[in-house]
Amino acid sequence: MGFYINGASAISHQSTFKNKGYTENIFELNSSHELLAPNYKEYIDSKALRRMSQILRMSITCGIDCLSQSGIENTDSIIIGTGLGCLMDTEKFLKNVLTLDGLIPPTAFIQSTHNTIAGQLSLLLENNNYNMTHTQNTVSFEHALLDCMLRLNENDNNVLVGGADEHIPLLDNIASDIGVKIVEGKMTSGAAMFALSNERNKHSLARVMDVETYYGKSKNLQDQVNSFIEGTEIDLILINSNEALEFDLENIVNYSSIFGYLHSGSALALHYAVDVINEEGKQNILIVNYLNDNMGLILISNLEA
Amino acid sequence: MNVYVTGIGVISAIGNNVDENYNSLTSLNHGIGPVQFSNNKKTHLVGNVKLSDEAIIEKYSVKNLPISRTSLLGIIAASEAWGSNKHMKSIRTGLISSTSVGGMDKSEKYYRQLIQHEDIDNSLILTHDNGNTSEKIANFLGLEGYVNTLSTACSSSLNAIMLGARMIQQDKLDRVIVGGSDAFTEFTLNGFDSLMIYSDEMCKPFDENRNGLNLGEGAGFLVLESNRSIKETKNTQLCELVGWCNAADAFHQTASSPEGKGATLAIEGALKQANLSPNDIDYINAHGTATKNNDLSESRAIINVFKNNIPSFSSTKAFTGHTLAASGSIEVIFSILTLTKDVIFPNLNFIQPIEQTKLNPVTELTMNKKVNCVLSNSFGFGGNNSTVILQKI
Repeated sequence: MGFYINGASAISHQSTFKNKGYTENIFELNSSHELLAPNYKEYIDSKALRRMSQILRMSITCGIDCLSQSGIENTDSIIIGTGLGCLMDTEKFLKNVLTLDGLIPPTAFIQSTHNTIAGQLSLLLENNNYNMTHTQNTVSFEHALLDCMLRLNENDNNVLVGGADEHIPLLDNIASDIGVKIVEGKMTSGAAMFALSNERNKHSLARVMDVETYYGKSKNLQDQVNSFIEGTEIDLILINSNEALEFDLENIVNYSSIFGYLHSGSALALHYAVDVINEEGKQNILIVNYLNDNMGLILISNLEA
Repeated sequence: MNVYVTGIGVISAIGNNVDENYNSLTSLNHGIGPVQFSNNKKTHLVGNVKLSDEAIIEKYSVKNLPISRTSLLGIIAASEAWGSNKHMKSIRTGLISSTSVGGMDKSEKYYRQLIQHEDIDNSLILTHDNGNTSEKIANFLGLEGYVNTLSTACSSSLNAIMLGARMIQQDKLDRVIVGGSDAFTEFTLNGFDSLMIYSDEMCKPFDENRNGLNLGEGAGFLVLESNRSIKETKNTQLCELVGWCNAADAFHQTASSPEGKGATLAIEGALKQANLSPNDIDYINAHGTATKNNDLSESRAIINVFKNNIPSFSSTKAFTGHTLAASGSIEVIFSILTLTKDVIFPNLNFIQPIEQTKLNPVTELTMNKKVNCVLSNSFGFGGNNSTVILQKI
């Protein structure tokens, strides 16, 4: 039961990249912390790298690392969730449009579309298969995961699925308008990619058991969570919301305090969950992502449960 | 599980609803002209919707302002498609919308305030994200639950149709409103201009002397239903959605491969999924943007699949302009009109076939032509290629 996570790679403000067991050394985020970026040149041709914005660098590096971990050569689908997409290039081109009179260089426009991430991955992996980009606000990653599960139920054996968002200074000005309490006035960037499969292999790390999204005001979060987990005993809850959840459980971690706030934060939470399952032997972890009427729930289990 | 289309709604430069669009298509009235409702100073030709934001807000009593034009156009088309449908507990209903630049029209206003150091209204930029444009449509329709947005540039809404069909096929939803919306923005106009693929005259799809696209704006939405849902709603089936496929060209971020690899894979994949042979297709509504690159690549893909037996085909973009994320669903709705009314809409402004491929699109309005099966293409930046196939009931 469930779908096997055979590779997991993340870049964030914590030391997530190629660092199993990092969840034992989590530090409290403050505004002095920067994104802990690896040496991208080890993964991306330096000529291509020069043109890439942060979200592309992070996502492509994680995608390549993730596939190499999983032991598969290429993937049957590439599915990305991003709340705000390629913000750096979007802002750059927009400012040029509003301030320049003559010809505007096209590069930022070319790289501004939300599906640049999935498109660039298809180019680099020479992959001609299903290529999709979900952009549903703060639950874009959950929607990408749901699509991934549909594909695995169809004819796919392996899917590369991930979430990514990048920070621009403007976001800090409007954070409180989005309803986000940010760490010392700073929103963050991050990306996490996963290789999901129907089949368990020697690289398998954990299983995605179920995913659900809900948009709307009329349902109570606690009821939704209860019906989602259907009596499964939960060892750890990763949550980004200040909404009170009644659980007979001390182990509740606010993942926004670890990774900062970004629209694809639940992808980093899933990466965290995978690490905890492998290091601490937890059985079932629930990720609760609830903000501005968008709810996402993910249930992850270890390989034996 | 079969997937049926039971509702359609469209707004574009050639009309504010399905009937108006049909009348323009059959009267050969295109909607391309100078830019309206914008600060844009350039003299480009575009397919503007002939309604201002204020007129839409008033006519539809839209609440919760500010709202992006993308949402407003979406509200009009989605409401028409939804029609007199009712929310029922027993029918799981979702919304899958799509857009390329979401609330960019309001972001432009916001950044102008920022650059000119005026009083800044933060609420404007909160309509920027694509998800917000769909949430506003969902709110207007009183819909809760599965609400999602896809964004794969110009193939977006064909992918929304495809995802809706898959959700029904796998019994995750019983009924789903699918489609896409994009408003005219200075961002996209200048974007295509910077790529030197914006024509300074009326676009000429599939013509040897084509020299670029005209931007359009609009929205198209469909209601898809399963058999089980139709039993309860008693809605009439307009046609069946029988095949779909998305494939990556993996050639270049913006250009299509000259041999049309991704497009060929998408068309072949959709035929395979529908269990149809190329000979079964009576008409193709082509992507046909009138850029040098797209039309050659798409022509090659059509030849790759259909060989010497090319079905009737046309691009309707010379009527509406290129409506980006909305183009897929708008053109699927035109394809449904072709199916249900046995009429093929012409490819305007065509004179001379492309030298390398020599394909001739349909250039005259063709009535009373028996059409059983239509195929519609949409291709986007990032090498995103999609095809769907619809069949008569």
